[in-house]
Amino acid sequence: MTSVAPLTDFPDSLSPMVVKELRQGLRTRMFGLVMVLLHLLLVLFTLTGGGSGNADTINIWFDGIITLTLCVVLPLRGFSAVADELKAGTLDMLALTSLSAGRIIFGKWASIAAQSLLLAFSILPYVVARYVFGGLDLFGEVAMLFYKWLGGAVLAALIIALSTQRQFWLRALIVGVPMLFGGCGMFSYFVMRGVTGAMGVSSPWSSIASSSGFVWLGVGIAVWLIFYFLSLAATRIAPAASLLSVVKRSVHLAVLCVLLVIGAATSLGSGLVAAASSLLWLVMLDALTEHANEVPSVYAAFYRRGIAGRAWLWLLAPGWITGFLFTLLLTALVAGVSLWMGHAEEARLMLISACGTWMVAALVQLFPTRRARDLLLPFICISLGVSLVLSTLASLLLIPFSMKGSTAWFAVVLPQFVPIGFATAQSGDKETFLMLGTAISMIWPVLLAVLSFLAWRRTRPARLEAWKMTKSE
Amino acid sequence: MPSPSSHAPEIDRSQPAVVVEDLHRSFGALKAVDGVSFTIDHGRVVGFVGANGAGKTTTMRIMATLDSPGAGRVCMGGHNVVHHPAKVRRLLGWMPDAFGTYEHMSVLEYMDFYARALGFKGDERLRRIQEVMDFTDLTPLADRMSNKMSKGQTQRLCLGRALLHDPQILILDEPAAGLDPKARVELKNLIRILAQEGKTILISSHILSELGEMCDSLLFIDNGRIVHHGDAQSMLRGTETAGETLVNVQIAGNPAKLLEWALTAPLVKVEDETKRGARLRIQAADDDTLAGVLRRMIQDGLPVLDFHREERRLEDAFIDMLGQIDRGRRSEPPPLPGQNDE
Repeated sequence: MTSVAPLTDFPDSLSPMVVKELRQGLRTRMFGLVMVLLHLLLVLFTLTGGGSGNADTINIWFDGIITLTLCVVLPLRGFSAVADELKAGTLDMLALTSLSAGRIIFGKWASIAAQSLLLAFSILPYVVARYVFGGLDLFGEVAMLFYKWLGGAVLAALIIALSTQRQFWLRALIVGVPMLFGGCGMFSYFVMRGVTGAMGVSSPWSSIASSSGFVWLGVGIAVWLIFYFLSLAATRIAPAASLLSVVKRSVHLAVLCVLLVIGAATSLGSGLVAAASSLLWLVMLDALTEHANEVPSVYAAFYRRGIAGRAWLWLLAPGWITGFLFTLLLTALVAGVSLWMGHAEEARLMLISACGTWMVAALVQLFPTRRARDLLLPFICISLGVSLVLSTLASLLLIPFSMKGSTAWFAVVLPQFVPIGFATAQSGDKETFLMLGTAISMIWPVLLAVLSFLAWRRTRPARLEAWKMTKSE
Repeated sequence: MPSPSSHAPEIDRSQPAVVVEDLHRSFGALKAVDGVSFTIDHGRVVGFVGANGAGKTTTMRIMATLDSPGAGRVCMGGHNVVHHPAKVRRLLGWMPDAFGTYEHMSVLEYMDFYARALGFKGDERLRRIQEVMDFTDLTPLADRMSNKMSKGQTQRLCLGRALLHDPQILILDEPAAGLDPKARVELKNLIRILAQEGKTILISSHILSELGEMCDSLLFIDNGRIVHHGDAQSMLRGTETAGETLVNVQIAGNPAKLLEWALTAPLVKVEDETKRGARLRIQAADDDTLAGVLRRMIQDGLPVLDFHREERRLEDAFIDMLGQIDRGRRSEPPPLPGQNDE
């Protein structure tokens, strides 16, 4: 019998999923084509740009092509990463190995990030050439290359999260529309720069790049976003018995606390609280779209840890019911810090914004959408519907009131209307408007609390079995 | 070669290899599995039979920890699939009915990936891959792209993957579906060797005759419920006793004599005429009655040349049984799990 040759291309220490994805990814025609085309163009730009009169235009093209490759083309390789596995039925086979859903998703992202890094490294000689011939800021250029890679890595994580949706058209819509607008915006920016010719390639960016506080904050938020999107994707493919929510929510809580502490301790205060509010919305999107969990082993894992475990269960156990409590805690934290810093108005607007998200969650649970295999899709659809349709409607309805110089009191009825109504309200009415808006918006978390109580009762058999399991051990 | 200790499954041999008790699983209003119960002892090969949508795959997926039961208990090797899914996964090999391979990945890389994913490292991984590839005859195909193989080769690849960690229990969902006769024989041989090694195998298939040959017992499922659990013979007997026996008879001379005789003979009806005789339906199945019918034919002067019982196929027996259930004729409850198994 002949023997097989040992495979020594990747060390054992690398995650199996990373090895698999790299083996596949590096062999695709797409990667080779992108690599060759990019280098051909960069050689062309470097040769034509050196010392010529049109150096600025060449630099813009140089910059644009690298941005396009690192921030659009390579991240898009994750477009069908999970969907293909779902369609081929290979995820089931992976689930029976020691690979967790998190490691599967991480492997897919790490492969794209590694290929992107490989490409970024291969660009470095051209950057040095531009420094030698064009006198550009070498550190700023290398830093920009890193930010582009990081931006691409965040986008890759987002696209992998979207790839958990089986429907191609839906993914194409969600990825395609923002990319189209973003691409047009980017193109216009580069064209304008080309027309005005006023700005140097790295002038607006290198100043930001050189500010270390922003750099670390930006890098930190990018890393959190990567974690957020990858954990969101992992949740969509994880078995019901998975305890991924414990890790996810612990990290989210820690990051939010760090942001709030930095915000409270530095002059960045209100800016960071605003950032925390955005972060909160993302966390809510994740926590409120997990299915109510009815697997006994999930609850048993908390019961085994005594009183502390049972306390954490209310916040960290998988499912939207505990997710609701978790988001209540986070909202209270952000609102509390905001109030403490003396931003009472911002705190209330943030609370109203959270009520708007709870409203969407309540609607998802009230309608047959609660039985959807993936709650994320109806949640996003209802959110978009509410944001686009209702907000447009509210804006139109507000026009006559603004023209007459009166307060549009009807805008207090829905949390999504309140910020618009508040902005156009008469100065004397603002306080009453905000108070009324807050009071009415609070109906939604109360309704969601009732729904979560009912859903929690339905999980009773699973919790009872978990309790028995724990007692019998 | 035994599996490395770090991957050795912990199996409780004091309990049956598989215990399924009152298993329920619904998808909305559809009851996919409705109170299924059975046990499988260690080292047995059991066929799982049922029409499409009968509940086979759902039951198997729950057993493989890939789905959660709505109610009931499933234990594999003494471990509850809900309480200890990780332990269950270490001792079972799963071959799904539909699965894909990967692009840009050779057969050897495919096996290497799964071996890594199962925790094998270094030389141990290479040794295990070599053993499995030799067993499934994949070594000559090591450099072939995994998505460019025939159906039979892909099935062997999937079986090889399922065997990498030397599982004690194998769940094979429709492994022979879509295979040509040669590939089917090869797969059957592999399963036979695995059975000889003492592995517990649950195998679903539509090809009942093959299951009848390979399996120690058969589980028949219909509308989410087990309707029979026993060996192939008990299945045939079960429907025979509830029904009748078909006998082929040939006589010398004019077959009309036989038809005339059948009109007056008790328990005998003519099913259809043949060139030299007839197919007779005898309303009994025991050997004594059949011998009595033959004796009477001879006593009545019929020149009998051939008298043989028509061999029933499992497919016919299964369809008959389903028909009987539909008609409500099968009043007695289905045999208890494992009752006919021994």
